[in-house]
Amino acid sequence: MFHRLGYLLRETGNNVLRNTTLFLATFIAVWVSLTMFGSAIIMRTGVSEATGRWSDDVQITVFMLADSTPDQRAELERSIDANPEIELISFVTQEESYELLQEAFSEDSPELLEGLTPADLPLSYRIRPLTNDADVVSAISDSFRSKPGVRSVADAPELLRSIERNSQRISTILLIASIVVLVAAVLLIINTIRTAAFARRDDIEIMKLVGASNWYIRTPFVIEGTIQGLIGAVLAIPMLFLLNNLLKDFVSDESLELLQGLPVENAFIWNTSMWVMLLGAGIGAIGSLIVVGKYVDV
Amino acid sequence: MILFEDVTKTYKGGTAALNHVSCEIGRGEFVFIVGPSGSGKSTFLRLMTREETPETGEVYVGGKNVVGLSMSRVPHLRRDIGCIFQDFKLLPNKTVTQNVEFALEVIGRPRSVIRTQVPAILDLVGLSHKVRSYPSELSGGERQRVSIARAFVNKPPVLLADEPTGNLDPATSVGIMQLLMRINQIGTTVIMATHDKGIVNQMKRRVLELEDGKLVRDQERGVYE
Repeated sequence: MFHRLGYLLRETGNNVLRNTTLFLATFIAVWVSLTMFGSAIIMRTGVSEATGRWSDDVQITVFMLADSTPDQRAELERSIDANPEIELISFVTQEESYELLQEAFSEDSPELLEGLTPADLPLSYRIRPLTNDADVVSAISDSFRSKPGVRSVADAPELLRSIERNSQRISTILLIASIVVLVAAVLLIINTIRTAAFARRDDIEIMKLVGASNWYIRTPFVIEGTIQGLIGAVLAIPMLFLLNNLLKDFVSDESLELLQGLPVENAFIWNTSMWVMLLGAGIGAIGSLIVVGKYVDV
Repeated sequence: MILFEDVTKTYKGGTAALNHVSCEIGRGEFVFIVGPSGSGKSTFLRLMTREETPETGEVYVGGKNVVGLSMSRVPHLRRDIGCIFQDFKLLPNKTVTQNVEFALEVIGRPRSVIRTQVPAILDLVGLSHKVRSYPSELSGGERQRVSIARAFVNKPPVLLADEPTGNLDPATSVGIMQLLMRINQIGTTVIMATHDKGIVNQMKRRVLELEDGKLVRDQERGVYE
């Protein structure tokens, strides 16, 4: 068994030495494609987490004047019902606003709540626009601003919406590009293994001649392909951490406070890394299996 | 031991390599297969090792039908058949010992078995003094002895030899033939395809003659003609 292991390692080592350039090309292709693949996954999660955080902001909130009359409120509710492009999520009373504030600040900055009573706070309507079109959203907000009894209207800044849209687009492009490079990587692995099989055609001929089992002959090639895929994958992992940290540094700027959900937790990167390694080993194994099935036949 | 039943093998392009060949070779026989180039001698051998499969007919080796063998059983068949060739097929980067060891290693024989069997077989073929040499440092006759050692180290019941003396001078050929005779005397079935008139005529063994893929002669104690 140990002897067999030594044979496997020796053969794999020899193949790498025999074929340094092809090995490097393969390794780079796997590395780049898996880095892109991992980034796309991480980006998708980051964006969906960030938008989760924004979900309150993405709404339109209509704050009423403290002295708004029931008639004014009824009028506003009618116009919300009448507009097919929005739906009412909730009506927040003064007491509820106060509780929300208490939850938010009582632990960290209780001084902000001093002297504050529910009566000081406005009633508000939370409205969800049914469209993502920023122009429509701001038109809706504007229409509420002019209603009687309304103090102010807050809506999600367009920046957030455009980030959400664009990052989805970028991550999709990354994913597609990573798949394209991944295909190139598989082709390179096939080429590497085929070259290795050709370099060892004499050994293979003798092994077949004396009755070595098919898997005895094939396993070294499959292991070699798998290792190549794994090496590329393992080296993609630090890239994922690096990119995530760069993003963290970028959003730590205060003006980008709303983007702080974009970088993901390290635990998630480890999680993604596992998939990246599985994918790397997978394409290596698949590539080499294609070759041995075709060229290393009895 | 070996049975060909109405075997026909046609290669792409329609040339018949073997044409309705039937014959039986008993255990421990020494058989020459003679005939001009392209008469089907090599195909005859390659059908036994399942490197080729026939269009029609059956091939039996040691009682087992070789034609219907699954891919995973083929290696086991080949462990029971030693093969030597005109061009020796030695691995140039391995020493004499390593070349022979390789054949046992790759079929998973334990190290202890390899350590005792390899020196014994190298002694049998008369190469005990050259165990550390590389094939490039050996004469043609010595290389063929290494290849015989490799083919026979696993003590297969059948030994196939495809023109084993084709690259050797007559004096060296005699030595190789003596070695094959010795292996045959141990009880091994030896089937040798050859062009070498002198050897066939001198040894007076069973001769199968192929011509254009047909078995035209099967003669006990025959000559080349």
